[in-house]
Amino acid sequence: MASTRLLARLATQRSAAAVRTPVFTRGFASVTDTTARNPAAKVAESIVPDPARKVVPDSETSNVKEPAPEKDSKLKTFHIYRWNPDEPSSKPKMQTYTLDLNKTGPMMLDALIRIKNESDPTLTFRRSCREGICGSCAMNIDGVNTLACLCRIPTDTTKESRIYPLPHMYVVKDLVADMTLFYKQYRSVKPYLQRSTPSPDGREYRQSKEDRKKLDGLYECILCACCSTSCPSYWWNQEEYLGPAVLLQSYRWLADSRDEKKAERQDALNNSMSLYRCHTILNCSRTCPKGLNPALAIAEIKKSMAFT
Amino acid sequence: MASIMRPSLLRQSQTASQRVYSTFARQPSPLTQHLRPAFAPVPSTRIAAFHATQRQAILPALPQKITGTLNEPTVVPDPTPAHGSYHWSFERLVSAGLIPLTVAPFAAGSLNPVMDATLCALLVVHSHIGFEACIIDYFPKRRVPNLYKASMWALRLGTITLGVALYSFETNDIGVTELIAKLWNA
Repeated sequence: MASTRLLARLATQRSAAAVRTPVFTRGFASVTDTTARNPAAKVAESIVPDPARKVVPDSETSNVKEPAPEKDSKLKTFHIYRWNPDEPSSKPKMQTYTLDLNKTGPMMLDALIRIKNESDPTLTFRRSCREGICGSCAMNIDGVNTLACLCRIPTDTTKESRIYPLPHMYVVKDLVADMTLFYKQYRSVKPYLQRSTPSPDGREYRQSKEDRKKLDGLYECILCACCSTSCPSYWWNQEEYLGPAVLLQSYRWLADSRDEKKAERQDALNNSMSLYRCHTILNCSRTCPKGLNPALAIAEIKKSMAFT
Repeated sequence: MASIMRPSLLRQSQTASQRVYSTFARQPSPLTQHLRPAFAPVPSTRIAAFHATQRQAILPALPQKITGTLNEPTVVPDPTPAHGSYHWSFERLVSAGLIPLTVAPFAAGSLNPVMDATLCALLVVHSHIGFEACIIDYFPKRRVPNLYKASMWALRLGTITLGVALYSFETNDIGVTELIAKLWNA
């Protein structure tokens, strides 16, 4: 028995003199480092070598034309960001659609819905109210974060429109951005009335007309995240900086005369990152589709906390 | 003149170097792989000599990481007014104070060493706060902690050097205000 083992050892012994063909040599664990210098996208491709689904080639999906163009049709071109999580090995791409504006509603959301209904049902986007009160259809249209339902399609057909998801957000699919962190941040400012004392007459908590006026321009925010995702500071430090939308909501409760936890709310913001990463770039006020002024709210918070 | 700086030449040489150095197709044969000593360093043959057009992502985005469940709020940091409201108030005071200090010596037409010293001190503090904000923004502590620390110490060193330099300039030479006045009239 021992001799058999010895013979086996001799047979498999690694000797420099004997050159064995790779068929008989034992495979050693090795790092064939073929992707070390590739950008992150390439690495992601190599992780999933076998896509769950075949990648649809560009020639089959690009440039979807207006279903039936007519003579006096106003054809407008839309370039739309596409990325499909079911094809992880294919890169995000811009897909081109051509629509006749005569048959399309006036707003960008109408165009998107028409594309989805008539030419490409795989186009994915969030939408709900189509009148700018739900904040679902926030996206980057022609370089500006806005609600697709409040954004008119420019009637100039020579100019092509480009639609992207909200910038610097993780994309779920096509125009759908992942808002998990945004909503978690919103939750962290405790957006509800905090009181320990009951109202004097046991009925609802009332406030004067002047106090109520302080909430105008704050309560209208629909949390579409247009402002936050337009803020460079939020792009850089999303994990720690709260962003204009959440700070506006924080100020909405700080300014509320009925709230009794003002000091605690201020303490939650009183650190280097949460509030003071705002450098008054003012992209937030510029882009807000509801015409609110988050930068002013942030400035008010800073003022109320200064010299205290 | 065939300058090496000519972009067309540069591109040619770059493609040539890519042909030679960054080929994936030419794998070494199994025989040579086998004959190579086990611990010999593998020459990194894929790194091209010079890339002018390669995409270089500075701090590329990492995969998303959500801590806690979806229904938990993000972590609220402990209040640190020294880095929060006090810091902001101090910064605003310094910035606001710099405006009259830059105008006053020239408006008054007189040079006062005390005022000069105040201006220099506020300038040093103001620039320190400004660069500190840049470092916090661009080198996030959670992402590149060592670079953050290094740049913070480099900033402190630079601030001290600037302070010493301005002090010696004020005491041994003409001073900042006088220098600007001279340059203005030069």
